[in-house]
Amino acid sequence: MIDIMANLIWIIVVVIGGALISQSVHFIPVGGAPAAMAQATGIGTGTVQLAAGAGLTGLVSAGYMMSVTDNLPLILASAAVGAMIMIAATMIVGSWVYAYGVGCVPASAKVKYDPLTKYRQDLYVSQGTEGHGLPTVCFVSGVIGAALGGIGGALVYYALMEVGMSVVSTNPNLVAVVTIFSIGIFFVNSVIPSYNIGGTIEGFHDPKFKKWPKAVISSLVASLLCAIVAAIAIGQLSGGL
Amino acid sequence: MSAGGSGEAKSSYPPQTTIGLGVVGGLLGIYAGGLLAPSIPELSFIGGIGAICAAIWGADAVRRVASYGLGTGVPSIGLLALGMGIVAALFGLSIGGIAGPIVAFIVACVIGVVIGALANRVIGMGIPVMEQTMTEIAGSGTLLILGLSVAIAGTFDYNVVVESVVKTGFIALIYIAGGMALLHPFNANLGADESQDRTLTCAFEKGAVSMVVAGIASAAGVGIGPAIVTVIIGTVLWYIGFTKYYALVKRDAYAVVGTGLLPSAEELQ
Repeated sequence: MIDIMANLIWIIVVVIGGALISQSVHFIPVGGAPAAMAQATGIGTGTVQLAAGAGLTGLVSAGYMMSVTDNLPLILASAAVGAMIMIAATMIVGSWVYAYGVGCVPASAKVKYDPLTKYRQDLYVSQGTEGHGLPTVCFVSGVIGAALGGIGGALVYYALMEVGMSVVSTNPNLVAVVTIFSIGIFFVNSVIPSYNIGGTIEGFHDPKFKKWPKAVISSLVASLLCAIVAAIAIGQLSGGL
Repeated sequence: MSAGGSGEAKSSYPPQTTIGLGVVGGLLGIYAGGLLAPSIPELSFIGGIGAICAAIWGADAVRRVASYGLGTGVPSIGLLALGMGIVAALFGLSIGGIAGPIVAFIVACVIGVVIGALANRVIGMGIPVMEQTMTEIAGSGTLLILGLSVAIAGTFDYNVVVESVVKTGFIALIYIAGGMALLHPFNANLGADESQDRTLTCAFEKGAVSMVVAGIASAAGVGIGPAIVTVIIGTVLWYIGFTKYYALVKRDAYAVVGTGLLPSAEELQ
Protein backbone atom coordinates (compact mmCIF):
# COMPACT_ATOMS: atom_id res chain seq x y z
CA MET A 1 0.00 0.00 0.00
CA ILE A 2 1.31 3.40 -0.92
CA ASP A 3 1.80 6.11 1.65
CA ILE A 4 -0.71 8.85 0.86
CA MET A 5 1.00 11.45 3.04
CA ALA A 6 4.37 10.91 1.37
CA ASN A 7 2.75 11.56 -1.99
CA LEU A 8 0.55 14.41 -0.82
CA ILE A 9 2.54 16.94 -2.83
CA TRP A 10 1.98 14.96 -6.05
CA ILE A 11 -1.71 14.54 -5.31
CA ILE A 12 -1.95 18.32 -4.94
CA VAL A 13 -0.14 18.73 -8.25
CA VAL A 14 -2.68 16.41 -9.92
CA VAL A 15 -5.51 18.48 -8.45
CA ILE A 16 -3.93 21.70 -9.74
CA GLY A 17 -3.54 20.06 -13.15
CA GLY A 18 -7.20 19.07 -13.12
CA ALA A 19 -8.25 22.61 -12.25
CA LEU A 20 -6.09 24.00 -15.07
CA ILE A 21 -7.74 21.63 -17.55
CA SER A 22 -11.14 22.78 -16.28
CA GLN A 23 -10.15 26.42 -16.68
CA SER A 24 -8.69 25.80 -20.13
CA VAL A 25 -12.02 24.63 -21.52
CA HIS A 26 -13.50 28.07 -20.83
CA PHE A 27 -10.94 29.66 -23.15
CA ILE A 28 -11.45 27.37 -26.11
CA PRO A 29 -14.06 28.62 -28.62
CA VAL A 30 -16.39 25.62 -28.61
CA GLY A 31 -19.28 25.98 -31.01
CA GLY A 32 -20.74 22.50 -30.82
CA ALA A 33 -23.29 21.34 -33.36
CA PRO A 34 -24.55 24.89 -34.21
CA ALA A 35 -21.02 25.90 -35.19
CA ALA A 36 -20.74 22.83 -37.39
CA MET A 37 -23.60 24.37 -39.38
CA ALA A 38 -21.92 27.81 -39.22
CA GLN A 39 -24.72 29.12 -36.99
CA ALA A 40 -22.59 29.88 -33.93
CA THR A 41 -19.10 31.22 -33.43
CA GLY A 42 -16.41 28.70 -32.66
CA ILE A 43 -15.08 25.36 -33.78
CA GLY A 44 -17.79 22.99 -34.89
CA THR A 45 -17.40 20.19 -32.40
CA GLY A 46 -17.97 19.48 -28.70
CA THR A 47 -15.94 20.64 -25.74
CA VAL A 48 -14.73 17.20 -24.82
CA GLN A 49 -13.36 16.45 -28.25
CA LEU A 50 -11.52 19.77 -28.45
CA ALA A 51 -10.18 19.79 -24.92
CA ALA A 52 -9.21 16.14 -25.20
CA GLY A 53 -7.55 16.74 -28.56
CA ALA A 54 -5.48 19.59 -27.24
CA GLY A 55 -4.81 18.03 -23.86
CA LEU A 56 -3.82 14.63 -25.19
CA THR A 57 -1.45 16.23 -27.68
CA GLY A 58 0.03 18.05 -24.71
CA LEU A 59 0.30 14.76 -22.87
CA VAL A 60 2.15 13.15 -25.76
CA SER A 61 4.52 16.12 -26.03
CA ALA A 62 5.10 15.97 -22.28
CA GLY A 63 5.73 12.25 -22.40
CA TYR A 64 8.21 12.68 -25.21
CA MET A 65 10.03 15.44 -23.33
CA MET A 66 10.08 13.30 -20.18
CA SER A 67 11.97 10.59 -22.00
CA VAL A 68 14.76 13.11 -22.63
CA THR A 69 14.80 15.22 -19.45
CA ASP A 70 13.14 15.44 -16.07
CA ASN A 71 13.24 19.23 -15.98
CA LEU A 72 9.65 20.21 -15.10
CA PRO A 73 9.58 23.65 -16.77
CA LEU A 74 10.83 22.13 -20.03
CA ILE A 75 8.21 19.36 -19.87
CA LEU A 76 5.42 21.86 -19.20
CA ALA A 77 6.63 24.13 -22.01
CA SER A 78 6.71 21.20 -24.41
CA ALA A 79 3.17 20.20 -23.45
CA ALA A 80 1.87 23.76 -23.75
CA VAL A 81 3.42 24.28 -27.17
CA GLY A 82 2.21 20.89 -28.40
CA ALA A 83 -1.35 21.62 -27.37
CA MET A 84 -1.20 25.18 -28.76
CA ILE A 85 -0.02 23.94 -32.15
CA MET A 86 -2.77 21.33 -32.18
CA ILE A 87 -5.60 23.76 -31.42
CA ALA A 88 -4.18 26.52 -33.63
CA ALA A 89 -3.99 24.12 -36.58
CA THR A 90 -7.58 23.04 -35.93
CA MET A 91 -8.77 26.64 -35.76
CA ILE A 92 -6.91 27.87 -38.83
CA VAL A 93 -8.18 25.00 -40.97
CA GLY A 94 -11.65 25.53 -39.52
CA SER A 95 -11.45 29.20 -40.50
CA TRP A 96 -10.52 28.25 -44.07
CA VAL A 97 -13.51 25.94 -44.25
CA TYR A 98 -15.85 28.64 -42.90
CA ALA A 99 -14.43 31.35 -45.19
CA TYR A 100 -13.90 29.45 -48.44
CA GLY A 101 -16.21 26.46 -48.01
CA VAL A 102 -19.27 27.82 -46.20
CA GLY A 103 -18.69 31.35 -47.41
CA CYS A 104 -19.18 33.30 -44.19
CA VAL A 105 -16.94 35.85 -42.51
CA PRO A 106 -15.63 35.23 -38.99
CA ALA A 107 -17.91 37.22 -36.70
CA SER A 108 -18.74 37.14 -33.01
CA ALA A 109 -22.31 37.70 -31.84
CA LYS A 110 -21.32 38.20 -28.22
CA VAL A 111 -19.43 41.49 -28.60
CA LYS A 112 -19.98 44.51 -30.86
CA TYR A 113 -16.28 45.08 -31.41
CA ASP A 114 -13.56 42.45 -31.35
CA PRO A 115 -11.67 43.30 -28.12
CA LEU A 116 -8.31 42.70 -29.80
CA THR A 117 -8.63 44.05 -33.34
CA LYS A 118 -11.47 46.54 -32.58
CA TYR A 119 -13.17 45.41 -35.79
CA ARG A 120 -16.94 45.79 -35.94
CA GLN A 121 -18.68 42.41 -35.49
CA ASP A 122 -22.46 42.82 -35.39
CA LEU A 123 -22.77 44.02 -39.01
CA TYR A 124 -21.33 40.77 -40.29
CA VAL A 125 -23.41 38.34 -38.24
CA SER A 126 -25.91 36.62 -40.55
CA GLN A 127 -29.53 36.86 -39.52
CA GLY A 128 -30.79 33.98 -37.43
CA THR A 129 -27.31 32.90 -36.38
CA GLU A 130 -25.20 33.51 -33.31
CA GLY A 131 -22.13 34.42 -35.26
CA HIS A 132 -19.92 32.15 -37.33
CA GLY A 133 -16.29 31.35 -37.96
CA LEU A 134 -13.42 32.21 -35.67
CA PRO A 135 -12.73 35.92 -35.14
CA THR A 136 -9.27 36.95 -33.91
CA VAL A 137 -10.30 37.13 -30.27
CA CYS A 138 -11.59 33.55 -30.36
CA PHE A 139 -8.41 32.34 -31.98
CA VAL A 140 -6.20 34.00 -29.36
CA SER A 141 -8.44 32.75 -26.56
CA GLY A 142 -8.29 29.23 -27.95
CA VAL A 143 -4.51 29.26 -28.06
CA ILE A 144 -4.37 30.45 -24.42
CA GLY A 145 -6.81 27.71 -23.45
CA ALA A 146 -4.77 25.06 -25.23
CA ALA A 147 -1.64 26.18 -23.38
CA LEU A 148 -3.43 25.86 -20.03
CA GLY A 149 -4.90 22.48 -21.00
CA GLY A 150 -1.53 21.18 -22.14
CA ILE A 151 0.14 22.33 -18.92
CA GLY A 152 -2.69 20.80 -16.88
CA GLY A 153 -2.42 17.46 -18.67
CA ALA A 154 1.36 17.45 -18.31
CA LEU A 155 1.12 18.24 -14.58
CA VAL A 156 -1.23 15.30 -14.05
CA TYR A 157 1.05 13.00 -16.03
CA TYR A 158 4.24 14.24 -14.39
CA ALA A 159 2.83 13.97 -10.87
CA LEU A 160 1.48 10.45 -11.40
CA MET A 161 4.83 9.42 -12.93
CA GLU A 162 6.59 10.73 -9.84
CA VAL A 163 4.22 8.71 -7.64
CA GLY A 164 5.00 5.62 -9.71
CA MET A 165 8.77 6.25 -9.77
CA SER A 166 8.83 6.30 -5.97
CA VAL A 167 7.58 2.69 -5.85
CA VAL A 168 9.01 1.19 -9.02
CA SER A 169 11.96 2.85 -10.73
CA THR A 170 11.91 0.65 -13.83
CA ASN A 171 8.59 -0.81 -14.83
CA PRO A 172 7.63 -0.79 -18.48
CA ASN A 173 3.95 -0.84 -17.50
CA LEU A 174 4.22 2.34 -15.47
CA VAL A 175 4.00 4.68 -18.48
CA ALA A 176 0.92 2.86 -19.80
CA VAL A 177 -0.90 2.90 -16.47
CA VAL A 178 -0.03 6.54 -15.77
CA THR A 179 -1.13 7.56 -19.26
CA ILE A 180 -4.49 5.87 -18.92
CA PHE A 181 -5.09 7.47 -15.53
CA SER A 182 -4.14 10.87 -16.97
CA ILE A 183 -6.58 10.36 -19.83
CA GLY A 184 -9.35 9.36 -17.40
CA ILE A 185 -8.73 12.41 -15.20
CA PHE A 186 -8.52 14.55 -18.32
CA PHE A 187 -11.92 13.46 -19.60
CA VAL A 188 -13.58 13.98 -16.22
CA ASN A 189 -12.17 17.49 -16.05
CA SER A 190 -13.11 18.42 -19.57
CA VAL A 191 -16.74 17.30 -19.25
CA ILE A 192 -17.42 19.12 -15.95
CA PRO A 193 -16.69 22.60 -17.40
CA SER A 194 -18.60 21.76 -20.57
CA TYR A 195 -21.72 21.43 -18.41
CA ASN A 196 -20.83 24.75 -16.82
CA ILE A 197 -20.76 26.59 -20.14
CA GLY A 198 -23.78 24.73 -21.48
CA GLY A 199 -21.93 23.32 -24.44
CA THR A 200 -20.83 26.47 -26.25
CA ILE A 201 -18.55 29.40 -25.46
CA GLU A 202 -16.67 31.89 -27.61
CA GLY A 203 -13.68 32.55 -25.39
CA PHE A 204 -12.65 34.91 -22.62
CA HIS A 205 -14.86 37.72 -23.99
CA ASP A 206 -18.00 35.57 -23.68
CA PRO A 207 -20.27 36.46 -20.71
CA LYS A 208 -20.34 32.75 -19.79
CA PHE A 209 -16.61 32.93 -19.10
CA LYS A 210 -17.37 34.56 -15.74
CA LYS A 211 -18.86 31.27 -14.52
CA TRP A 212 -15.44 29.56 -14.46
CA PRO A 213 -15.00 29.44 -10.66
CA LYS A 214 -17.94 27.00 -10.39
CA ALA A 215 -16.35 24.54 -12.78
CA VAL A 216 -12.90 24.93 -11.25
CA ILE A 217 -14.24 24.23 -7.74
CA SER A 218 -16.08 21.16 -9.02
CA SER A 219 -12.95 19.98 -10.81
CA LEU A 220 -10.85 20.48 -7.68
CA VAL A 221 -13.10 18.11 -5.75
CA ALA A 222 -13.43 15.56 -8.57
CA SER A 223 -9.68 15.62 -9.28
CA LEU A 224 -8.88 15.13 -5.60
CA LEU A 225 -10.98 11.94 -5.55
CA CYS A 226 -9.43 10.68 -8.78
CA ALA A 227 -5.91 11.63 -7.68
CA ILE A 228 -6.09 9.68 -4.42
CA VAL A 229 -7.56 6.66 -6.20
CA ALA A 230 -4.95 6.86 -8.96
CA ALA A 231 -2.04 7.24 -6.54
CA ILE A 232 -3.10 4.14 -4.62
CA ALA A 233 -3.58 2.09 -7.80
CA ILE A 234 -0.21 3.14 -9.19
CA GLY A 235 1.40 2.29 -5.86
CA GLN A 236 0.19 -1.29 -6.29
CA LEU A 237 2.31 -1.72 -9.41
CA SER A 238 5.29 -2.75 -7.29
CA GLY A 239 3.64 -6.03 -6.31
CA GLY A 240 4.25 -8.99 -8.57
CA LEU A 241 6.20 -7.27 -11.31
CA MET B 1 -41.15 9.54 -26.15
CA SER B 2 -38.11 11.47 -25.18
CA ALA B 3 -36.27 14.30 -26.86
CA GLY B 4 -33.34 16.25 -25.46
CA GLY B 5 -34.65 18.96 -23.16
CA SER B 6 -38.14 17.51 -22.92
CA GLY B 7 -37.92 16.54 -19.27
CA GLU B 8 -38.37 13.16 -17.70
CA ALA B 9 -38.11 10.21 -20.07
CA LYS B 10 -41.08 7.88 -20.29
CA SER B 11 -40.09 4.27 -19.76
CA SER B 12 -41.82 0.98 -20.18
CA TYR B 13 -39.08 -0.72 -18.17
CA PRO B 14 -38.59 1.04 -14.81
CA PRO B 15 -35.04 2.02 -13.77
CA GLN B 16 -34.96 -0.80 -11.21
CA THR B 17 -35.17 -3.39 -13.99
CA THR B 18 -32.22 -2.07 -15.95
CA ILE B 19 -30.21 -1.39 -12.76
CA GLY B 20 -30.80 -4.98 -11.70
CA LEU B 21 -29.84 -6.30 -15.12
CA GLY B 22 -26.70 -4.16 -15.22
CA VAL B 23 -25.42 -4.80 -11.70
CA VAL B 24 -26.28 -8.50 -11.46
CA GLY B 25 -25.56 -9.37 -15.09
CA GLY B 26 -22.43 -7.23 -15.21
CA LEU B 27 -20.88 -8.56 -12.00
CA LEU B 28 -21.91 -12.15 -12.76
CA GLY B 29 -20.33 -11.92 -16.21
CA ILE B 30 -17.13 -10.41 -14.84
CA TYR B 31 -16.83 -12.97 -12.04
CA ALA B 32 -17.84 -15.98 -14.14
CA GLY B 33 -15.50 -14.93 -16.94
CA GLY B 34 -12.66 -13.93 -14.66
CA LEU B 35 -12.79 -17.02 -12.45
CA LEU B 36 -13.55 -19.68 -15.09
CA ALA B 37 -11.35 -18.43 -17.92
CA PRO B 38 -7.99 -19.16 -16.21
CA SER B 39 -8.85 -22.88 -16.37
CA ILE B 40 -11.02 -22.84 -19.53
CA PRO B 41 -9.84 -19.83 -21.63
CA GLU B 42 -12.74 -20.23 -24.09
CA LEU B 43 -15.10 -18.98 -21.37
CA SER B 44 -13.52 -15.52 -21.35
CA PHE B 45 -16.38 -14.39 -23.62
CA ILE B 46 -18.68 -14.34 -20.56
CA GLY B 47 -16.96 -11.10 -19.59
CA GLY B 48 -18.26 -9.66 -22.85
CA ILE B 49 -21.82 -10.74 -21.97
CA GLY B 50 -21.42 -8.92 -18.66
CA ALA B 51 -20.27 -5.86 -20.59
CA ILE B 52 -23.42 -6.00 -22.75
CA CYS B 53 -25.62 -6.05 -19.59
CA ALA B 54 -23.70 -3.05 -18.26
CA ALA B 55 -24.08 -1.26 -21.62
CA ILE B 56 -27.87 -1.69 -21.59
CA TRP B 57 -28.03 -0.32 -18.05
CA GLY B 58 -25.68 2.56 -18.83
CA ALA B 59 -27.57 3.49 -21.99
CA ASP B 60 -30.81 3.55 -20.02
CA ALA B 61 -29.25 5.85 -17.40
CA VAL B 62 -27.88 8.10 -20.16
CA ARG B 63 -31.36 8.14 -21.67
CA ARG B 64 -32.96 9.20 -18.39
CA VAL B 65 -30.51 12.04 -17.71
CA ALA B 66 -29.95 13.24 -21.26
CA SER B 67 -33.68 13.57 -21.94
CA TYR B 68 -33.54 16.64 -19.68
CA GLY B 69 -31.05 18.20 -22.09
CA LEU B 70 -27.43 18.45 -21.02
CA GLY B 71 -26.73 21.46 -23.21
CA THR B 72 -23.59 19.91 -24.59
CA GLY B 73 -24.60 16.80 -26.44
CA VAL B 74 -25.06 13.26 -25.23
CA PRO B 75 -21.53 12.01 -26.05
CA SER B 76 -19.98 14.08 -23.26
CA ILE B 77 -21.67 12.04 -20.56
CA GLY B 78 -20.50 8.77 -22.12
CA LEU B 79 -16.91 9.95 -22.14
CA LEU B 80 -17.28 11.18 -18.56
CA ALA B 81 -18.62 7.75 -17.58
CA LEU B 82 -15.65 5.96 -19.08
CA GLY B 83 -13.23 8.53 -17.59
CA MET B 84 -14.61 7.82 -14.12
CA GLY B 85 -14.87 4.13 -14.95
CA ILE B 86 -11.27 3.67 -16.02
CA VAL B 87 -9.94 5.33 -12.86
CA ALA B 88 -12.25 3.29 -10.62
CA ALA B 89 -11.73 0.00 -12.49
CA LEU B 90 -7.93 0.05 -12.26
CA PHE B 91 -8.12 1.16 -8.63
CA GLY B 92 -10.53 -1.64 -7.70
CA LEU B 93 -8.47 -4.32 -9.39
CA SER B 94 -5.25 -3.02 -7.85
CA ILE B 95 -6.33 -3.28 -4.22
CA GLY B 96 -9.32 -5.59 -4.27
CA GLY B 97 -7.90 -8.97 -5.22
CA ILE B 98 -10.86 -11.31 -5.55
CA ALA B 99 -13.22 -8.51 -4.49
CA GLY B 100 -11.65 -6.22 -7.11
CA PRO B 101 -14.66 -5.75 -9.41
CA ILE B 102 -16.96 -5.03 -6.44
CA VAL B 103 -14.48 -2.53 -4.96
CA ALA B 104 -14.16 -0.89 -8.38
CA PHE B 105 -17.94 -0.71 -8.70
CA ILE B 106 -18.38 0.88 -5.26
CA VAL B 107 -15.58 3.40 -5.84
CA ALA B 108 -17.12 4.31 -9.20
CA CYS B 109 -20.49 4.89 -7.54
CA VAL B 110 -18.85 7.16 -4.95
CA ILE B 111 -17.05 9.18 -7.64
CA GLY B 112 -20.28 9.29 -9.65
CA VAL B 113 -22.45 10.56 -6.82
CA VAL B 114 -19.87 13.25 -5.98
CA ILE B 115 -19.65 14.43 -9.59
CA GLY B 116 -23.43 14.30 -9.90
CA ALA B 117 -23.81 16.39 -6.76
CA LEU B 118 -21.19 18.86 -8.02
CA ALA B 119 -22.97 19.17 -11.36
CA ASN B 120 -26.28 19.87 -9.67
CA ARG B 121 -25.28 21.87 -6.61
CA VAL B 122 -22.16 23.78 -7.70
CA ILE B 123 -22.59 24.12 -11.45
CA GLY B 124 -26.35 24.30 -11.06
CA MET B 125 -27.59 22.08 -13.85
CA GLY B 126 -30.84 21.52 -11.99
CA ILE B 127 -31.55 18.02 -13.31
CA PRO B 128 -33.51 16.19 -10.61
CA VAL B 129 -32.14 12.73 -11.47
CA MET B 130 -28.54 13.93 -11.88
CA GLU B 131 -27.03 12.39 -8.73
CA GLN B 132 -28.73 9.04 -9.23
CA THR B 133 -28.02 8.71 -12.93
CA MET B 134 -24.43 9.92 -12.61
CA THR B 135 -23.89 7.18 -10.02
CA GLU B 136 -25.43 4.63 -12.37
CA ILE B 137 -23.45 5.88 -15.34
CA ALA B 138 -20.15 5.68 -13.45
CA GLY B 139 -21.03 2.21 -12.16
CA SER B 140 -22.07 0.89 -15.55
CA GLY B 141 -19.00 2.42 -17.22
CA THR B 142 -16.79 0.60 -14.74
CA LEU B 143 -18.56 -2.73 -15.24
CA LEU B 144 -18.33 -2.24 -18.99
CA ILE B 145 -14.58 -1.68 -18.83
CA LEU B 146 -14.08 -4.61 -16.46
CA GLY B 147 -16.24 -6.93 -18.59
CA LEU B 148 -14.35 -6.12 -21.78
CA SER B 149 -11.04 -6.36 -19.89
CA VAL B 150 -11.97 -9.86 -18.72
CA ALA B 151 -12.90 -10.76 -22.30
CA ILE B 152 -9.45 -9.62 -23.46
CA ALA B 153 -7.24 -10.75 -20.56
CA GLY B 154 -9.23 -13.79 -19.39
CA THR B 155 -8.90 -12.69 -15.76
CA PHE B 156 -9.32 -9.64 -13.54
CA ASP B 157 -5.93 -9.99 -11.86
CA TYR B 158 -4.46 -6.47 -11.78
CA ASN B 159 -1.02 -7.32 -13.12
CA VAL B 160 -2.35 -9.45 -15.97
CA VAL B 161 -4.90 -6.78 -16.93
CA VAL B 162 -2.16 -4.13 -16.89
CA GLU B 163 0.09 -6.38 -18.97
CA SER B 164 -2.42 -7.48 -21.62
CA VAL B 165 -5.00 -4.65 -21.70
CA VAL B 166 -3.34 -1.41 -20.55
CA LYS B 167 0.22 -1.87 -21.77
CA THR B 168 -0.88 -3.14 -25.18
CA GLY B 169 -3.08 -0.08 -25.63
CA PHE B 170 -6.30 -2.09 -25.98
CA ILE B 171 -7.63 0.01 -23.10
CA ALA B 172 -8.03 2.87 -25.60
CA LEU B 173 -10.07 0.54 -27.79
CA ILE B 174 -12.25 -0.39 -24.82
CA TYR B 175 -12.57 3.27 -23.98
CA ILE B 176 -13.98 4.25 -27.34
CA ALA B 177 -15.95 1.06 -28.12
CA GLY B 178 -17.40 0.97 -24.60
CA GLY B 179 -18.11 4.69 -24.60
CA MET B 180 -19.91 4.24 -27.90
CA ALA B 181 -22.12 1.52 -26.37
CA LEU B 182 -23.13 3.94 -23.60
CA LEU B 183 -23.54 7.21 -25.46
CA HIS B 184 -24.54 6.17 -28.96
CA PRO B 185 -27.95 4.52 -28.33
CA PHE B 186 -29.71 7.60 -26.96
CA ASN B 187 -27.73 9.93 -29.20
CA ALA B 188 -28.87 8.03 -32.28
CA ASN B 189 -32.48 7.50 -31.23
CA LEU B 190 -33.42 10.71 -29.44
CA GLY B 191 -36.25 12.75 -30.79
CA ALA B 192 -40.01 12.95 -30.61
CA ASP B 193 -40.42 9.30 -31.59
CA GLU B 194 -37.84 7.89 -29.16
CA SER B 195 -38.93 4.68 -27.46
CA GLN B 196 -37.08 2.90 -24.68
CA ASP B 197 -37.08 -0.58 -26.16
CA ARG B 198 -35.55 0.69 -29.41
CA THR B 199 -32.84 2.65 -27.58
CA LEU B 200 -31.98 -0.31 -25.37
CA THR B 201 -31.92 -2.70 -28.33
CA CYS B 202 -29.44 -0.34 -29.93
CA ALA B 203 -27.38 -0.52 -26.70
CA PHE B 204 -27.48 -4.32 -26.88
CA GLU B 205 -26.30 -4.22 -30.46
CA LYS B 206 -23.51 -1.72 -29.68
CA GLY B 207 -22.47 -3.82 -26.69
CA ALA B 208 -22.17 -6.81 -29.00
CA VAL B 209 -20.01 -4.76 -31.38
CA SER B 210 -17.69 -3.84 -28.51
CA MET B 211 -17.61 -7.53 -27.56
CA VAL B 212 -16.48 -8.43 -31.09
CA VAL B 213 -13.80 -5.74 -30.91
CA ALA B 214 -12.66 -7.08 -27.54
CA GLY B 215 -12.67 -10.57 -29.02
CA ILE B 216 -10.30 -9.55 -31.79
CA ALA B 217 -8.04 -7.88 -29.22
CA SER B 218 -8.14 -10.97 -27.00
CA ALA B 219 -6.16 -12.95 -29.59
CA ALA B 220 -3.10 -11.25 -28.07
CA GLY B 221 -4.31 -11.88 -24.51
CA VAL B 222 -6.00 -15.21 -23.88
CA GLY B 223 -5.15 -16.68 -27.27
CA ILE B 224 -6.50 -17.33 -30.75
CA GLY B 225 -9.00 -20.05 -29.79
CA PRO B 226 -10.88 -18.07 -27.11
CA ALA B 227 -10.69 -15.01 -29.37
CA ILE B 228 -12.53 -16.86 -32.12
CA VAL B 229 -15.21 -18.00 -29.63
CA THR B 230 -15.71 -14.41 -28.39
CA VAL B 231 -15.86 -13.02 -31.93
CA ILE B 232 -18.36 -15.64 -33.10
CA ILE B 233 -20.65 -15.23 -30.09
CA GLY B 234 -20.37 -11.46 -30.35
CA THR B 235 -21.24 -11.55 -34.04
CA VAL B 236 -24.28 -13.76 -33.41
CA LEU B 237 -25.47 -11.42 -30.64
CA TRP B 238 -24.87 -8.43 -32.90
CA TYR B 239 -26.93 -10.03 -35.66
CA ILE B 240 -29.79 -10.76 -33.25
CA GLY B 241 -29.59 -7.21 -31.89
CA PHE B 242 -29.42 -5.60 -35.31
CA THR B 243 -32.37 -7.50 -36.79
CA LYS B 244 -34.41 -6.69 -33.67
CA TYR B 245 -33.37 -3.06 -33.90
CA TYR B 246 -34.26 -2.84 -37.57
CA ALA B 247 -37.67 -4.39 -36.83
CA LEU B 248 -38.26 -1.76 -34.13
CA VAL B 249 -37.17 1.01 -36.49
CA LYS B 250 -39.73 -0.22 -39.00
CA ARG B 251 -42.35 -0.42 -36.24
CA ASP B 252 -41.73 3.16 -35.10
CA ALA B 253 -41.25 4.73 -38.52
CA TYR B 254 -44.22 6.16 -40.41
CA ALA B 255 -43.02 4.36 -43.52
CA VAL B 256 -39.85 2.69 -44.72
CA VAL B 257 -39.46 3.14 -48.46
CA GLY B 258 -36.71 2.32 -50.91
CA THR B 259 -35.37 5.25 -52.88
CA GLY B 260 -34.23 3.07 -55.78
CA LEU B 261 -31.00 3.55 -57.63
CA LEU B 262 -29.69 6.94 -58.66
CA PRO B 263 -31.21 7.98 -62.01
CA SER B 264 -28.93 7.65 -65.00
CA ALA B 265 -27.89 10.60 -67.17
CA GLU B 266 -30.50 9.77 -69.86
CA GLU B 267 -33.34 9.57 -67.36
CA LEU B 268 -32.48 13.02 -66.06
CA GLN B 269 -32.77 14.59 -69.50
